[in-house]
Amino acid sequence: MWAAHAVTDEDRLDRTETARVLRRSLQFAQPYRRTIWWAIALVSVGTVCTVSGPVFVKLGLDEGITGQRATALNVAVACFVGTVIIGYLVGRLQYLAINRAGEGFLRDLRVAVFDRLQAQSMAFFDRNKAGVLVSRMTADIESMGELIQWGLLQFVAAGLLLVMTLILMVALSWELTLVVVLFVAPILGAASVRFQRQSNRAYLDVRERVGQNLSNLQEGIAGVRVIQAYGREVEQQRRFFASNRALYGSHLHSVKISTWYFGLVEWAGIVSIALVVGVGGLLVHRGSVEFGTVAAFVLLLSNLFDPVQQLSQLYNTVQSAAAALHKLYTLVDNVPDVAEHPKPVTLPPTGRLTAHHITFHYEGSERPALHEVSLSVAPGERLALVGPTGAGKSTLAQLLSRLYDPTSGYVSFADVDLRVASLLSLRERVVVVPQEGFLFGGTIRDNIRIARPSATDDEVAAALAAIGALDRFDEFPEGLDTEVRERGSRLSAGERQLVSLARAALVDPAVLVLDEATSNLDPGTEAVVERALERLMQGRTVIVVAHRLSTVRRADRIAVIDHARLVELGTHDELVVRGGRYAALAQAWARSQPAAEGTAGH
Amino acid sequence: MLREQRAGLLAGVGIGLLWSAGKVAVPKLTRLAVDRAVLGNESLLFWSSMIAAVAVVAGVFVGWRRWIAFRESRFTEAKLREQLFAHIMRLHVAYHDRTQTGQLMSRASSDLMQIQGFVVMIPMTASNLAMVLAIVVVLAVQQPLLALVALAPLPLLNVLAMRFSRRIHPAVLAVQAEQAQLATVVEEAVSGVRVLKGFGAEAVTAARLRTEADDIRTVSLQAARVRSAFLPALDLLPNLGLIAVLAIGGHRVLNGQMSRGEMLEFMQYIGLLIVPLRSIGMTVAFGQRAAAALLRVNEVLSTVPLVADPEPAARQRRLPDGAAGATTDGTTGRGEVWFRGVCFGYDPAAPVLRGLDLRIPSGTSVAVVGATGGGKSTLARLLVRFYDVDAGAIFIDGVDVRDLALADLRHAVSIVFEDTFLFHDTVAANIAFARPDAAQADVERAARLSGAHDFIQQLPDGYGTLLGERGYSLSGGQRQRVALARAILADPRVLVLDDATSAVDPSKEHEIREAMATVVSGRTTIVIAHRPGTIALADTVVLLDDGTVAATGTHDELLATSQRYREVLAALAETDDEPTGIDEPAATAGSS
Repeated sequence: MWAAHAVTDEDRLDRTETARVLRRSLQFAQPYRRTIWWAIALVSVGTVCTVSGPVFVKLGLDEGITGQRATALNVAVACFVGTVIIGYLVGRLQYLAINRAGEGFLRDLRVAVFDRLQAQSMAFFDRNKAGVLVSRMTADIESMGELIQWGLLQFVAAGLLLVMTLILMVALSWELTLVVVLFVAPILGAASVRFQRQSNRAYLDVRERVGQNLSNLQEGIAGVRVIQAYGREVEQQRRFFASNRALYGSHLHSVKISTWYFGLVEWAGIVSIALVVGVGGLLVHRGSVEFGTVAAFVLLLSNLFDPVQQLSQLYNTVQSAAAALHKLYTLVDNVPDVAEHPKPVTLPPTGRLTAHHITFHYEGSERPALHEVSLSVAPGERLALVGPTGAGKSTLAQLLSRLYDPTSGYVSFADVDLRVASLLSLRERVVVVPQEGFLFGGTIRDNIRIARPSATDDEVAAALAAIGALDRFDEFPEGLDTEVRERGSRLSAGERQLVSLARAALVDPAVLVLDEATSNLDPGTEAVVERALERLMQGRTVIVVAHRLSTVRRADRIAVIDHARLVELGTHDELVVRGGRYAALAQAWARSQPAAEGTAGH
Repeated sequence: MLREQRAGLLAGVGIGLLWSAGKVAVPKLTRLAVDRAVLGNESLLFWSSMIAAVAVVAGVFVGWRRWIAFRESRFTEAKLREQLFAHIMRLHVAYHDRTQTGQLMSRASSDLMQIQGFVVMIPMTASNLAMVLAIVVVLAVQQPLLALVALAPLPLLNVLAMRFSRRIHPAVLAVQAEQAQLATVVEEAVSGVRVLKGFGAEAVTAARLRTEADDIRTVSLQAARVRSAFLPALDLLPNLGLIAVLAIGGHRVLNGQMSRGEMLEFMQYIGLLIVPLRSIGMTVAFGQRAAAALLRVNEVLSTVPLVADPEPAARQRRLPDGAAGATTDGTTGRGEVWFRGVCFGYDPAAPVLRGLDLRIPSGTSVAVVGATGGGKSTLARLLVRFYDVDAGAIFIDGVDVRDLALADLRHAVSIVFEDTFLFHDTVAANIAFARPDAAQADVERAARLSGAHDFIQQLPDGYGTLLGERGYSLSGGQRQRVALARAILADPRVLVLDDATSAVDPSKEHEIREAMATVVSGRTTIVIAHRPGTIALADTVVLLDDGTVAATGTHDELLATSQRYREVLAALAETDDEPTGIDEPAATAGSS
């Protein structure tokens, strides 16, 4: 509950970064500037109301009571009532105003970050962990949500309250103000700065221990079967207890820090009352201040102490929000590296797909993933890519469909360089069907329509019919409107692949790039998927990253990729006769299926 | 649960009361100082020193109260978490099957946090209550009428704080729910980026995200409306008390019925009441949430582990000693397994095994073949008592597994699971999981046997390489070989391989099968064969069909005699078109 936001050293922004965060924030806040000005005005009025309470008490005491004028007292009371009511109304409005601006700002930020995220190239997604990207959009933005819901208001209000209280105190009695400030400022200031630093460090420590403890906990629960199977419950418990006790220690340490700070603040608060009464009393005796001023000071002291504490708490929150914003703006300002050409060309309906001496490096890797690969696939031809793990088959497939751009060389379709092709026409001509059928939340129909959002219901049904899978989904009680649930858990693995194939059918592309699934399906579905795939491939150029002998045998030509190079290219028979890599691979296949003889029935 | 903390919490309450006394004394002293020193002739220094002295008392005790409150509550939390973890480790597998990891995680994290949040408030609330009572009494005795008017709005503060806490809670939950939905969209878009890019379908997810972002804004503004309805009112109420004191008190002072110091005292008391009254209101709402959390935690703690050591202890038996690597012919050796009339179903209405009889002589290996979902893996789970049989019994070397201490049973049987689980620890520690004190040489010998030694040596830190979620990630085949080494090092009487070679590169699979043959020889081994290739490892084959053993014999015999065996094999083979390889660099680059 204290210092709920900690700032690591990397999070601290330098001057130029801070300036950038401010500039970009102002740009994002542009649509809400009226609301923001309105909110600032409301907060100012509200603070004036808060501060003026003790002033009316003073007036009532001095003019009314000491001056023995009942009317003055009544006027002071009436004014107090007025400011309290205004303060209440303004208070209601300021929450709404700040939140309207703040939530609008966050909404725009979410949309902008996400749009820019999606525009990034595949290389970007390789480079950045999925978890980090998701947390940009969630944790980072949410942490600012808290700031906006209460922090920003408090920050502004606390600052204003502090300033106005000081001004008011000086106006009432500069001597008394001097005494209070000379005593309070050094102690409270130094203590708050020290506490803020210490608690930040302590909180970072707690946060890290919490993380460790949670992952130990999670590991224990997720691995409970293995732990029980090997009878390691006690050992595992010992490990967890150790991290749990370490966390307890960190918690205690952070409480220790707040203990002295809270004690000090409490002490200083009461001592300053003693000071005001003592010194104020002297001044009253000398006749330089009235008694009401002393009373007002006693009441105003809390206006001085509360904001200082709030500001020191908020300091971390604001800093970590600035750090989060910095990361977000960096993402928003990141220019995608696979972007559409300024003068895009629409690709012709059919043509040869050709790789011209393409070389490709994954970012940060010295070895090329592909080296000087050239090949050409004729319309309607079926090419299988084979080779050992990590040789570069999938990389080649992804370059051929421009999920990446080659480091050197280029890929062309019907003699048009893919880099100048319009992204729209490229995605219509060349479609990649990934290994596993990845499903999004929503219905089966929604999932197929991902491929062409403008498609009608009939077209979706037609795509399914084209691959012979319409009946399978029509049998569902809710048909194509069946919700697939999280990650498509409602459907079997085979059904998910059918949806994936139907997407491709809906686009009706000239070229199909397939990354064949390595995992197994249940036999019944396997056959349905095979048939659907066969129908989808009819009449199209097909490039398939093959993991199965049966798939390889059905290809017109086979390209063997090894160590980032194209080492063999030809038909099955040619390559077997040649006795090279492919021949060896084909033999390994045969050997690894000793028990399956006579049963490989397809 | 709070028994251990009772003394500490009582001390906290006591210290809190002392703090309250100090706090209550301040306005009183201020009044005396004002009336006698500021407006009278007594010593200013004396009276201000009195106030300053109370400042020390209040400062010390407020810190002390805080320290005790947090120490006790954090201790309660840590203790409960340890109890939970220890209990979860002992709960039967069927419980874990139907309980999601996330659920147990939130029992041990967010639920405990709510309990901690409440425990911390116990000493705070007690002293706050005492302070409120003391102030009310002081005011009522001095100026009953004024006290009544000034304090009248304050109970509302308590009511409002309580209602606010209740109203804001669902609003906050709604915001969290919407945030979770947005997170799902983002997560899908990032994980499914290949699909989206492949079809150029970014606009679809972008539209979804806009909907979710708008929803978040809507519910957040609803929460803001709740805040705007309550928070300014919470600020307003104490001011009403101040105004009452000024209006009524002022006139009483004018009439000479009250001193000016007393009026200032009243005002200070009203200021003092604000925080305690608010927090008492919050405590009530907190307490309700903590009670619900405690109920959920207790539900886990009170679940009795269904699979436990034999009760009474007298029933417990030990496995007979037998020479290691005993003969393959008799039942007197080490590691004989006997399933006798075993019936079992995860759901009693849908039995998986119906009176299965199977006797595996010690030192022999058996491949269990059957259709998917036919109960092959279930055999292994029953053998180590992940579940108990519904009827019948399972014996190891003539002892019913239910009569063995769990530790003994699980020491005697090792399973290599279909999906391997590695811990965030070094490779060596993962292999030595069953025997943490194993010598490095033994670890390496096990790794050699499982074919893991070569690739382990190529890892950045060899056997010292950290694995797991936050460490180095191995490929599926490598993980299985580490798991296999783990089982080998455990040196069990009975080894169960649940398709331990399914994710292995075919070029390597050959080597591993040879290594496996060494491991298997002379040891009772059950191979759960999901693929035809694995069958070759075993001496005999058992065909599982319709919950019983349908046929037994060598692979060739069954191939020749059993039509059903040929069908099952064909179905397995169809899914067993050997992959040429796994783990393309693009895929690993994306996930690393």
